[in-house]
Amino acid sequence: MRTAMLSGLAAAVAVAGCIPVQIQAPDEPIEINLNVNIRQEVIVRLERDAQELLEQNGNLF
Amino acid sequence: MTRKTTFLVAFTAAALMIAGASYAQQSDPILAQARASGLVGEQADGYLGAVPGASVSADVRGRMDQVNIQRRALYTRRAAERNVSVNEMAAAVACEVFESRIAVGERYRDETGQWRQHTASAPVAAPSFCGD
Repeated sequence: MRTAMLSGLAAAVAVAGCIPVQIQAPDEPIEINLNVNIRQEVIVRLERDAQELLEQNGNLF
Repeated sequence: MTRKTTFLVAFTAAALMIAGASYAQQSDPILAQARASGLVGEQADGYLGAVPGASVSADVRGRMDQVNIQRRALYTRRAAERNVSVNEMAAAVACEVFESRIAVGERYRDETGQWRQHTASAPVAAPSFCGD
């Protein structure tokens, strides 16, 4: 009985604790720079390949 | 077959191969002309594009399309070998092209879609996704 009451209380506290949390949508879109970084890193890694393609296919560039 | 003939045959074959290779390396003079006159230009996406408002003949457009198709094939093959997207491989090539292959007077399209011209006072601006 006491345990039930306690857990009920705990649940109530938990619920009450949850209610005040308001998630507000930010006014401005969140900027995700991670993608840009990954992309740039990949492109830097491909530098040799890019140079090779240019050298071997002078008719296309 | 005498020794002399063998040599001659080998020499001719080698000469033809060299001629063929240098021919393959030659860029299309009609397209080169169109680039020089600012009708078509390099784009930050790794392909050639027609400058808006420019009167590009069907012939030039066809040649441009052919080059772009072949470029795409190149990008696709190398992208698969390196496990990257075709767009990334194309962008990497665009970085090299923007760095050294756009002559003064030529037009080019930056990564925002804006067409610009390489002039003596305005060097080519590399796309932001290129490394330094």
